[in-house]
Amino acid sequence: MKQLRLIILSIASLLLAASCHEIPQYADNPRGNFEALWRTIDEHYCFFREKNIDWNDVYSRYSPMISDKMTAEELFDVCASMLDELRDGHVNLSSSFNTSYYRKWWSDYPQNFNNRIIEKHYFNFNYRQTGSVIYGILHENIGYMRIPSLAYSIGEGNLDNILYYLRTCDGLIIDLRDNGGGSMTAVETIVARFITSRTLAGYISHKNGPAHDDFSEPYPYYYNPAQQGRIMWGKPVAVLTNRSTFSAANNLVSIMKLLPDVKIVGATTGGGSGMPFSSELPNGWGIRFSAAPVLDPLGQTTEFGIEPTEGCAVNLDPQAAIQGRDTILDFAINLLCNQTPRL
Amino acid sequence: MKRLLLLSALLLTAAISYARQPAAADSVAPLRPVTSAYMLEAGSSSVADSYLSPLTYRGWNAAFAYERLQAMKFDPDNWVMQLNARIGLDRGRNQARNAATWRIDANFSWGMLHRWKPLPMLTLAVGGSTGIDAGCIYNPRNSNNPASAKLAWTVNATAYAACNLTIGSLPVTLRYQPTLPLAGIFFSPEYDELYYEIYLGNHDGLVHFAWPGNRFAMTNLLTADLHFGATSLRLGYRGYTFSSKANALVTNIHTHAFVIGLSGEWLSLSRRHSLSRDARIISALY
Repeated sequence: MKQLRLIILSIASLLLAASCHEIPQYADNPRGNFEALWRTIDEHYCFFREKNIDWNDVYSRYSPMISDKMTAEELFDVCASMLDELRDGHVNLSSSFNTSYYRKWWSDYPQNFNNRIIEKHYFNFNYRQTGSVIYGILHENIGYMRIPSLAYSIGEGNLDNILYYLRTCDGLIIDLRDNGGGSMTAVETIVARFITSRTLAGYISHKNGPAHDDFSEPYPYYYNPAQQGRIMWGKPVAVLTNRSTFSAANNLVSIMKLLPDVKIVGATTGGGSGMPFSSELPNGWGIRFSAAPVLDPLGQTTEFGIEPTEGCAVNLDPQAAIQGRDTILDFAINLLCNQTPRL
Repeated sequence: MKRLLLLSALLLTAAISYARQPAAADSVAPLRPVTSAYMLEAGSSSVADSYLSPLTYRGWNAAFAYERLQAMKFDPDNWVMQLNARIGLDRGRNQARNAATWRIDANFSWGMLHRWKPLPMLTLAVGGSTGIDAGCIYNPRNSNNPASAKLAWTVNATAYAACNLTIGSLPVTLRYQPTLPLAGIFFSPEYDELYYEIYLGNHDGLVHFAWPGNRFAMTNLLTADLHFGATSLRLGYRGYTFSSKANALVTNIHTHAFVIGLSGEWLSLSRRHSLSRDARIISALY
């Protein structure tokens, strides 16, 4: 009888212990929120090694700034400064009164883009637009298509209309300058019009544990050509980039760059190759951070940006811009005109 | 199906008295009425899923549940089968009350229990069941990790103690039934894995062997069936405790709900095989 009681007690203890998987909790005060933020980044952020960041050292520098008497705004500023140490445009702290952004990834570089110049001096405001995409035919019989965002998927029908309209052009310019990214599925929709067979698009990895080096094996992923009946593009392409070509747009560039007959023209992109995750602090502030690195088809990180094709690095000349010329666009037009055999 | 008639029939006392007769005395096959219950549940919930947030979201839960019990044909005095189906919805807010999560959960199980009657008014039953539990926790605030999917197939241990008594002149059946999954398989993404990566085809590390040490999911159901003629009013409580840990991801769910419903015993009769006066009626629960 004693043995039976012991067995029952053991099973009950085991079940009780098993039912208590805990998630670390922090107090809703300045210290607790700071600790929760530091811990979340410590366990989930994915680019410590690439950026050579000593997160423990960051803790030792910022932790003394925390006081129980500080205001919410003061706490926010300290936390935002700590997050800036990550040098990552995908990292934000969001409160009801402010959202932090690390801006130096683009603010330390020339903008290299002025949409007004193109709309006025290249199209005389006579261009087409479907959804957010602006398109038209330049004087040199080169098609132009500006995709300002990938936040929403571009419709297959929209792409059909655009490419059909531009079908007689000798080349196509895809302007991704100031495109801050959006959906990865939008990337697939676009790339599918420029490939003729199943194509390696890159590799995706993720943190598989809380340690800084806990990563899954990079998983190769592929894109297929658009479905039969869709309008495809097989002529030369120039993709225009600047430092504000970021995140999913950066990913689009990394895939397009390795396709035949595609040149990347302009400035190095802004990077942002870590797919962001979200979490939150005890006081309800939201956190966003890079958690799943996406690599290019060569297996290389693009977190620090993608350089233009060799010989195609161009900046927007401010003097020419005053005259209504976009030197990056002009370079691409010349490149495509010289690349295309004329009949 | 045309030849089947559904008849609402039998009173609790008659069922019990017939069921007490020894099986060896049966000259004709006994009748095995189905005990069915339709239940609405409402109560509180507490949900924490570290894939979405380290914070606990507290709020309400509501559910609709169906239960069916029937004595089994091969040994109706000693074995009953039980079928459960339930769909529930929770909504909770974080402690700062600036974000909300939704949880939807559906489960289905079928099991068999062996029963004993140590006392005329008391039935004890022990058995097993197997079932599927599928659901999702959704946090619209999140960017690339807005949802945490839940899917499991488990083999469960279950037992109940049912007591028939009279309160005043009203016959009442009280029952307590705990259910605990002992083994099975369940789904979990990896630590910071995007569902997009799963969509792209990476299915490594998603399926886990389940045991109470990594997926504890206990249901405690307490019901009182108040027998008003052929139909009974069911009042009760359902408590659910869930805690899982896989790929360093932790999910904790606790719900407490008041149960109200209708239950009753039903017989399916065929015109070809009319009801024999000599047939015993063996109730599954009452």
